[in-house]
Amino acid sequence: MHFRKIALATALSLSAAIGVATPAFAQQTVTWWDFLSGGDGVRMKALISQFNEEHPDIQVKGTTLEWGVPFYTKVRTSAAVGQGPDVMTYHLSRLPLGLSEGVLTPITDADLENAGLAKADFFPAAEKAAEGPDGTLYAVPFDIHSIVLYYNKSFLEGSRFLDDQGNLTGIESVGDFEEAMQTAADNGAETPLTYATGDDGGVYRVFYTLLAQQGGTLISDDGEILPGDSTEKAIKAVETMTKWQTEGWQPEQALYEASVALFTSGKSAFQLNGVWEVPTMKDLATAGTLGFEWGAVQVPKLMETQTTWADSHAFAIPVHGKDEMDPEKRKAVMTVIGWMEKHSIAWAEAGHIPAYKPVADSAEYAQMQPNATYATLADSATYDPRNDIAGVASPVYDASINILSPAMHGYLTPEDAIAQMKSELESRMR
Amino acid sequence: MTPQRRIENIALTAITLIAGLIWIFPLYWAFITSIRTESRVVSDSAGLIPDEFSLSSYSDALFNTSLMHWYINSIGTSLIITVIVLITGMMCAYALSQMQFFGRKLLYGVVLASFMVPVQSLVVPQFVLMNDLGLINKWGGIILPQLVVPVVIIIYKQFFDAVPKEMKEAVVLDGGSDYTLLFRVYLPLNWGITTALGIITFIMAWNSFLWPFLVITTEEMMTIPVGITQVNDAFGVAYARIMSVALLAAAPVVIAYLIFQKRVTEAVMISSGVKG
Amino acid sequence: MAIIRNKRRHGLVALSLILPFLAIFALVFAYPLYEVVRLSFTDAPLIGEGNWIGLDNYVRLFSDRIFYISIKNNAYFVVLTVIPTTLIAMVIALAVNRLSGRWQALALVLFFTPYVLPVSVVTQIWAWMLDFQFGVLQPVFTFFTGKPVPVFKNPYWVLPSIAVVTIWWTNGFNVLLILAGLRNIPTDLYEAAALDGATRRQLFARITWPLLWPVTALVLTLQLILQLKLFDQVYLLSEGGPFNTSYVLLLMVYREAFQLNHGGYAAAISLILFLLIAVVSVLQYQLLRIGRGKDT
Repeated sequence: MHFRKIALATALSLSAAIGVATPAFAQQTVTWWDFLSGGDGVRMKALISQFNEEHPDIQVKGTTLEWGVPFYTKVRTSAAVGQGPDVMTYHLSRLPLGLSEGVLTPITDADLENAGLAKADFFPAAEKAAEGPDGTLYAVPFDIHSIVLYYNKSFLEGSRFLDDQGNLTGIESVGDFEEAMQTAADNGAETPLTYATGDDGGVYRVFYTLLAQQGGTLISDDGEILPGDSTEKAIKAVETMTKWQTEGWQPEQALYEASVALFTSGKSAFQLNGVWEVPTMKDLATAGTLGFEWGAVQVPKLMETQTTWADSHAFAIPVHGKDEMDPEKRKAVMTVIGWMEKHSIAWAEAGHIPAYKPVADSAEYAQMQPNATYATLADSATYDPRNDIAGVASPVYDASINILSPAMHGYLTPEDAIAQMKSELESRMR
Repeated sequence: MTPQRRIENIALTAITLIAGLIWIFPLYWAFITSIRTESRVVSDSAGLIPDEFSLSSYSDALFNTSLMHWYINSIGTSLIITVIVLITGMMCAYALSQMQFFGRKLLYGVVLASFMVPVQSLVVPQFVLMNDLGLINKWGGIILPQLVVPVVIIIYKQFFDAVPKEMKEAVVLDGGSDYTLLFRVYLPLNWGITTALGIITFIMAWNSFLWPFLVITTEEMMTIPVGITQVNDAFGVAYARIMSVALLAAAPVVIAYLIFQKRVTEAVMISSGVKG
Repeated sequence: MAIIRNKRRHGLVALSLILPFLAIFALVFAYPLYEVVRLSFTDAPLIGEGNWIGLDNYVRLFSDRIFYISIKNNAYFVVLTVIPTTLIAMVIALAVNRLSGRWQALALVLFFTPYVLPVSVVTQIWAWMLDFQFGVLQPVFTFFTGKPVPVFKNPYWVLPSIAVVTIWWTNGFNVLLILAGLRNIPTDLYEAAALDGATRRQLFARITWPLLWPVTALVLTLQLILQLKLFDQVYLLSEGGPFNTSYVLLLMVYREAFQLNHGGYAAAISLILFLLIAVVSVLQYQLLRIGRGKDT
């Protein structure tokens, strides 16, 4: 025992004397979880490996889990037993739910300082969305992302929907959009419009966009579900989506991968999907395997106002069971987060709008395509309701797949679906 | 054999083999998909005949996933489970079959009853227990709850019951203990059943999904069945890659089966000796 | 005196032989079983203690719509799998049994290989084959129903499809069990009967079927218990959807405990599942015994 102590002390003093040979602190391994697949995943992996190269003292070990319910279930369970990651990506739409589950740790001012960040560095809307009701910060916003309308020019050639430069034009109402879909169908588009009609996210994003474009509210600030005439507006949104289904304009029960493949394989003229598929399209076009010209624009004004659903990716540090995180480790985690924010121009490559203003305001970002075509999106976007039944992998998303999607596919009427959704969500509020 | 009988036999053989080929079609199709490029996979002209030979999705699968970790975890935990289940099972079965002790009938009753009942309904407290023991994300956590396989005891006991009494008496007269009897007489006499139970236990452990899925949260500790569904490095459309990962994941045990198929067949058949 | 010591020694040896199993059994089976019962009367989260709430969980359970859907689906799935797989396995075993050496081995490999695949490999292959947009089997659906069918997203197709996948995956095991049963039937019985001029149908009805009954009963019992424990395939193929039409009890346990953090409620569902399987297997055991008594 004594011998060991002496040996240890000798070793320590020796290494202190040599100094350079051994670093003064141990290398930190930061366990990182995300749900980023597709082009997002590729960009994020590149960012992580660049970080690891630049930081010999901190190594990020990333794991990508399945997006949505599987991811958030794993996070919840493993945080409860102290086996969670050191840092994870988190949807700000889900922050209220995350707080009610008790899985998030507060991000203190000292933490932010360690990351070289300040609250004022972020778009106010995103920063607000990362706060709890009492103003405590629980996550660091990374981006603002939304859905855009992708289009395949070959199906619109010669129609009034392409201008001289070959850009999409002339869609100012649902009627216009439906006419464009019919045009595409006449020109041989198997499924004129594609989105994930059989997935919670795909259905929810389109539904919420159509609801918001009519000025409807899903959950009011005092917790009322579809208050006032929002119920009729919600019904109208579902009716519109149902019509697209019955006309055969959108795919039946498409899962996410299939919905993207319909567009990339040239079977669809339009795709309503997140900006995160921009790199997929870019990569295919660069590789020369796409076979058609494509573009992406902000979702047009189909109803009364120009607005689109939007959400934010953020970084959060989960609780570790009953244990506190080692301060050195936490410092390392914040270093990672700070570095990521400052390098988020690479993340903008994945189509997203950086939440970190210095990057979003940079000249480099202003020139990025096609981001510039939907740059105004952040200003007019409608975020998810701030409620612990809303957000990714929440009762609202569950209702989208369990109630709205069946309605679209003809298993129940839009009126019944909205009534069911309302009562289901109300029962969750209690 | 009459000519008519012979034609009948040839026809039967042909029909059965064709049915077998249809039965195995899903694996064939998975393979064809895996050697195509992603864009080919979703194109309309992709037919049933292999027309491309691209191994890129395989190299992707091998180098961009933690498949190697998952192999090691799956094989390691399944082997340990198999060994412990066999040893504890044969010891318990020997005592039940050849010895008299207080509570013997009760113990056998419990073993029989737990064979009928689903371990899966115990996942909630088992998860809590593994957390208390600090075994979440550990091999121990994967292994422990899978060690109760009552059917092994039941089958061993039946085979031990059938060993002729004279063999036992000879050893007892020579002064051999029960341990000697078990490991020198009963076990060697029943090597066949040990291999059989070993193979079956191994396949069961190798295939188990629910429990490892619950108890493992980190990528490098996952087993094959869990890892290939939970870890998602997909690049947009990736059907070829998914099929490559799936086939690679299945490969070790399928190959082992093809090499030892006679033994495996015998193993399953022996276990039909269990009386319902 | 020597006898007593011997007897005690005998007891100790027996104890040392059963102890390893008993210890594991107590730790990961008996104790959790006790815990399931205890937790089911509390409002405990997954990790942590709850309060005693008496029968509240059960009251809630018996008014939970998903609970009834799940029970119904469990029963439906048993109907879809247990007897069909036994019959299919029997047909295949009868055919394979008549093949000669090498061909028989080949046929067995073809029918048995799916059984050694991990469940997630099976589900991924089938999800791809049945993919609504690109699945190779969709032309078959188009031929019969006039249009492609998103099987795992359609309330009528989802459980039958999962049943087909399950049968494909596990059938090889049953084939081998039945084949073993066939081989155990002494051939001289057939020879004697053939000499008496029995037709092939008579041979099957009088010899094969009754003598095969013990193995058939075994297959039925194993299948019943196995299929009631359905979780993996549903979780991986449909996650209980579309709109809960493929929910089963074990999926409900998983969702309540691990997604919604309702440990106590999940324990109550577990206990119901536990009792259900216990009762059903005892009932079936009795029924099959009666059946066997009549036939032999």
